Formats: sequence, C-alpha cells, structure tokens
Amino acid sequence: MWSTESIYAVFLATGFTVGFGHCIGMCGPIVISVSLQLKDRPSFFPQLYYNIGRTITYSLLGAIMGATASFTRFASQAGGFQKAVLMFAGVLIIVMGAAMTGWVPAGRIFQNAPPLAGFARAGFKRILDARRAVLFLPLGMVLGLLPCGPVYTAMIAAARVGMEAESTLGGMLSGAGVMACFGMGTIPALLLLSQVSNVKWLKHRDLIYKFGGVMMILVGIYFTWKGWTY
Amino acid sequence: MDPASNRCLAMARLALGAAVFLVIAAAAAPALAQNPEVRTTCNIHQGPCSAELAGRSVELEISPKPVKAMEELVFRVTISGDRLSEAPYIDLGMPAMKMGPNRVETARQGENTWTGKGVIVRCPSGKNTWFARVTLPETGTAEFVFDVVY
Repeated sequence: MWSTESIYAVFLATGFTVGFGHCIGMCGPIVISVSLQLKDRPSFFPQLYYNIGRTITYSLLGAIMGATASFTRFASQAGGFQKAVLMFAGVLIIVMGAAMTGWVPAGRIFQNAPPLAGFARAGFKRILDARRAVLFLPLGMVLGLLPCGPVYTAMIAAARVGMEAESTLGGMLSGAGVMACFGMGTIPALLLLSQVSNVKWLKHRDLIYKFGGVMMILVGIYFTWKGWTY
Repeated sequence: MDPASNRCLAMARLALGAAVFLVIAAAAAPALAQNPEVRTTCNIHQGPCSAELAGRSVELEISPKPVKAMEELVFRVTISGDRLSEAPYIDLGMPAMKMGPNRVETARQGENTWTGKGVIVRCPSGKNTWFARVTLPETGTAEFVFDVVY
C-alpha cells in the first residue's frame, strides 16, 4: 500500500487532519476540561505535556503492534482495560467539573472516600492541584489509552509495518515511528483547541466557569456511561 | 499584561484558530467530495453485497459472519467480465467521521476473484455504520455501506 518510509508521512498527515475533525469532537471535552480547570494558571505547557504523554503512549502501543505484527491480539485482550480508562476519564471530568463550579471545594471531594481509594484520591488531588506542568504528562499517558477509532487504524498500520520488517526490533521501531507520527500530527489541533478554550480574558468568567463546570459534569457522566457500555 | 492586551491576545488566538480551521476545511473539501461512482446500502451479515460498475457486477463478501469489529475479517471481491489486470483494493471507513486510512490489499484467488484480510475498528461513539469502498483500478469505485456488530 505505502512504503515504510512514506507511511510515516501518511500518518503524520492523518493525525493532523483527523485531529481537526475527529479528535476535537471526541477528545475535545477532556482538553477543554483541563484548560478550564487550570483557571488563572497558564495552560500551554500543561496541555503540551498532556499531548506529549498521549504521543508517548501511542508510540509504546505502536512498538507492541510492530513487534507482534498483530492488531487483533491486542484488540482481544485490551477491551476491559480500555473500558476502565474510558470510565476513569469520565470520573476525572466529573471531578474537575465539580471542583470548577466551586460548589464542592476540590479538597473535600475525596474527604469521605474509603481508605482503599487512597491511591485514586491522591492521584485526583494531584491533578486538581497540579502546579507543575510536567504533572500532566502521566495524565496524557493514561488517557492515551482511551479507545479511539483513528488510533486503532494507526495501530493496524503499525502492525502491518511490523509484518514487513526484517526483525522484531525493526518492527518495533517502525511501529513506534508510525504511531509517534500519528500522535504528533494530532497535537496542533488539540493544543489550538486548548488555547482557544482559554476564557481568562472574559469579564464574567466566574459564570463561565460555573456553566463550564456543569457541562463538564454532564460530559463526564456521558464518558462514564460510554465506558460502562463499551 | 494588562486586560486589554489579554483580550487582544485571546482574539488573536480565536482568529488564528478560525483561520487554521478554514484552511484545513478547504484542503479537506476536495477529498470529501470524491464520491464513488456507485453507492449501495446492504446487509453484509446475510450474504454478499453487489453493485453494477461500468458494465461489470462487483460483489463483496465479508466473513466470518456476523461481521464484527476488531476481529480479523476476510474480504472477497468477485467481478464479472474480462479478467482484471490489476488487483482491486478496499478502503474501509465510516460515512459519519474520518477514521484514518485503512486499506485492504487483495490477492487473486481465481479468474476474477480476489481476497484480502483486514479489520474494521470500533468507534467508541457507538456508531456502527461503515463503508467498504472497492476500487477496481482503471475502472472505478463501488461503495458498500453496511452495519457491523460491536
């Protein structure tokens, strides 16, 4: 179909075009949630780290696809895990929305959580209180595992490249390269959306934050439900 | 930075966003406008789908049935008429949204029968209508639209 060299360019371009259509629709709520949740803090570098985290995960998935030269092996085993990631993203958006409305102080959201939820509580609090942009890298890495059609398509391409590779290592590197190109291609759209959704300059932004918080809770419920039924 | 500068910066961001969006939309428009010569909606689970293309019948069968997403599928294309010199190929996608290039290459199995393996991926939105666009080089393209099982 394509030479191994040209497939990198094809998937860089695919990431770019899909980014402005599909990704803004499907991942846009997460990006906007992160931007709004940061309120008065600068959002560019947290969003950049979030996107780099996503791209790292895609590259790792691409490496697995390239090394195993099989997409269906992944597909048959990853469904349950991806369901959990989709639900995690939903709960995260709900928590961010609840914290943003100001009706529930961020610190109190997990106050009554059972002790076993300590790890999750610490993780959520860390995201909500994040002062260092680099803390959004692991968030991006986790959310890079969200089920997504175009990501699956890129994974199929990475597996095909792996089939044509002369060695497992070669397949791994080529697969990682395809997915890295795809991930990098999606970054401009999501980064641009994150900056456009920045409402710091609005005079009545408290109202926007409250409205945005309610919208985020609704979107979070939708994501959680999608995860539950995935 | 004073509030007026912030507002200018935000407006500039919005303008930049709108400009980039328009450029992308303009670039994507010709690709979206490339309609196949023939489009047929069918139930792929019940049997092969067929269409007439430039005086030939083009038949597409996908197995195993029911046709499920995220599983390896065999695509069989059978064409009537003169022997094709070049192998047909099948592009998979969703009419509702762009899913990236997913092409099934085929190899000759008989006089005018071609098969190839591929995977239809799952869209988390829950939409399950897909198309398989069969291209016969130098002849044309027939598109089959069908629902898959998630």
